[in-house]
Amino acid sequence: MFAWFFQFAPAIAVLPFVSFLLALVAGRWLPRKGALAGILATGGSLLLSLGVLAAVVSGHTHEQTLYTFVDAQETFSLTFGILLDQLSAAMLVIVSLIAFLVHVFSLGYMNAEGEPGLPRYYAGLGLFSASMLAFVFADNLLMAFVFFELVGLCSWLLIGHWFRDPAPASAAKKAFLVTRFGDYFFLVGVVAVLVTFGTAQFAGADGFPALAAEAIDAGESFFGLSAEAWVSVIGLLVLGGVIGKSAQFPLHTWLPDAMQGPTPVSALIHAATMVAAGVYLVARMYGFYLLSPTVLGIIAFVGGFTALFAATMGVVKNELKQVLAYSTISQYGYMMLALGAGSYVAAFFHLTTHAIFKALLFLGAGAVIVAMHHDEDMWLMGGLREHMRVTYLTFLAGSLALAGIFPFAGFWSKDEVLFDTLVVGLEQPLLLVAYLMALAAVFVTAFYTIRMVLLTFHGDPRTDVAESPHAVGLSIKAPLVVLGVLAVVAGAINLVPVEKLTGLRVSFLSSFLGSDRGLLTHNAHYVDLRTEYAGYETGAIVSEPVTVLLGVALGFGLAIAGAVAAFLLYRDADPVRHTERLGSIHTLLVHNYYQDEYQVWLAEGLSLRTARAADTFDQGVIDGAVNATSSVSLLSGDRIRRVQTGVVTNYAALVVLGLLALLVGFALYGGWF
Amino acid sequence: MLEAVPVEYYLVLSAAVFCIGLFGVLTRRNALMFLMSVELMLNAANINLVAFALYWGELTGQVFVLFTMSLAAAEVAIGIGIILVLYRNYDDVDVTDATTMRW
Repeated sequence: MFAWFFQFAPAIAVLPFVSFLLALVAGRWLPRKGALAGILATGGSLLLSLGVLAAVVSGHTHEQTLYTFVDAQETFSLTFGILLDQLSAAMLVIVSLIAFLVHVFSLGYMNAEGEPGLPRYYAGLGLFSASMLAFVFADNLLMAFVFFELVGLCSWLLIGHWFRDPAPASAAKKAFLVTRFGDYFFLVGVVAVLVTFGTAQFAGADGFPALAAEAIDAGESFFGLSAEAWVSVIGLLVLGGVIGKSAQFPLHTWLPDAMQGPTPVSALIHAATMVAAGVYLVARMYGFYLLSPTVLGIIAFVGGFTALFAATMGVVKNELKQVLAYSTISQYGYMMLALGAGSYVAAFFHLTTHAIFKALLFLGAGAVIVAMHHDEDMWLMGGLREHMRVTYLTFLAGSLALAGIFPFAGFWSKDEVLFDTLVVGLEQPLLLVAYLMALAAVFVTAFYTIRMVLLTFHGDPRTDVAESPHAVGLSIKAPLVVLGVLAVVAGAINLVPVEKLTGLRVSFLSSFLGSDRGLLTHNAHYVDLRTEYAGYETGAIVSEPVTVLLGVALGFGLAIAGAVAAFLLYRDADPVRHTERLGSIHTLLVHNYYQDEYQVWLAEGLSLRTARAADTFDQGVIDGAVNATSSVSLLSGDRIRRVQTGVVTNYAALVVLGLLALLVGFALYGGWF
Repeated sequence: MLEAVPVEYYLVLSAAVFCIGLFGVLTRRNALMFLMSVELMLNAANINLVAFALYWGELTGQVFVLFTMSLAAAEVAIGIGIILVLYRNYDDVDVTDATTMRW
């Protein structure tokens, strides 16, 4: 009965695109400078997405080619189409929900504050939402790439919204360039997929993941490599784009700088659009990644390392949004870890809950920033809970979810990520290392989260502004409340530990993602692939319930330990800057492990010098040869043209001499003499 | 019926007239003399054509001469025109003065 929603599915992306066009062309004359158009459009997308989700839940799926822009007979066609299966339907709801709430929040954050350039801002938000929604329902890798790039473009537009200041302008450039560096590899990967398999479709028996599996079974070889190795190469190439967009080590450096953009944009980037695109891409073509245990191992290890690495930097940050930025990098590390460990459901579950609580935290931070007259330093805040109850309570719910405290949403998803990694890690040592890093990150995450909450909302006000903050309006509070409620209850969609211990059927997300719809994108298929191709085996400590309990105890215990440690250190009315006592480690962390410095060195010290040497070679040798050839012509031409004296007698003489020469020539050749 | 003059005599005459014309073209600076020398060279060719027409007993060569003569008349008309323009621009009819169209 819901299947008729499918015919309106393209409108999910088209509606925000229309709002983009409206805001761009007529934003100045629209009510609220285009905000209402954006709210209506994303609201419409949300309703349609919910309809599509209902249709998919009731057992339908939809795959349709909308537009063929290159129709080739012999090689491969390039098409745009939509694929609505469990993954994309659920993701559409998340993206359109966050986009809708961010549009509403922007009314209070941008319009009420009288920011300049509002039509441009809403145009950017509209295009951002439209590209991400189109990326989500893309049915082939090429279309996904196109909208992946559009998402990157929009992030550049929005991070650099206040482009008259040098810092946002440079942050926007950095975000664009760093993610583009990864996207180069992605582009090569797209071409490789098309050339190798002749199709870039994600789903079905003629999609490229299925074809790759067949090629491996048949023992084919491509370009001198075995099918397994070639699949790994393509997987790594596409992974380049994922690592750039999802801000994984070593391409994470753009994300903290991207905090220069307006806070609602940060919420959109971190929760649902830009950063989520990378992880979503891996999940979208997961059937392909499962064929290569090498790439899976790399994904898991990078994810686990990034989770811990980014979390440690979050500990020493003083700006509210900076802490959240590093927590985003860290949380996406968890998702990558889950994907690397072969746990599709856990990764998507964490993506869902993270989208909710990270959007909540960013919007809460936005409310705090409005209240603090655009000051972000947590050391200038303190005591804000007295003045902003709604923001405090919702922000606290989001923080507890981020810290992984029972029973908030983040606890369930993070526990599932850790548990799934643990059981695989018991058999694969590399994954166990990744698991241990992620486990350590749980402690650090809880620590910096609680530190952030205490510094912002507790204690005594440390400045005059914090004593009498600016009041925030309803358009700010309403999205916070919606997300706050979700952050508390969203974990209920997949209570796997409860199911494993009591036998109640309460893992709704698992059964939803697991059911076979004939598209080969369901979890049961992925579990088969994981055993068959990746060779992952699962272990248990003593027995499964014991392992479950142990996993929960470890994760939850470390989260509580981190929270308690932060509470003990920062609960005073006037807290001390404890992190500065870390000495040289503090310096290292404040400088972000000198990642920026080393990347600048790579760019300026290495690339620039190589480029200079290449330039010298080009100018000297290549151009030198060309110039030498041409100078011979120039010189000889300059000499020979002097024959043209302009005196007609000389020409006559030359004609006669030529005639004589011809005569003599013919005479000699013809044998007259 | 007069004894026919051998064709070689005509050819020698024609060559002599042609060489005189050529000499004039190569040595004279006066454009009018230039034009006359060209006429000599054309008529040398005419002598050849007529001589061979007589030699072979055919009229084709003589008809050709008629064409050459009309061509020469046209050429003189153009040549005089050029000389007039030359005089107007350089106040002289010296062909070595007009050397602006060169490198």
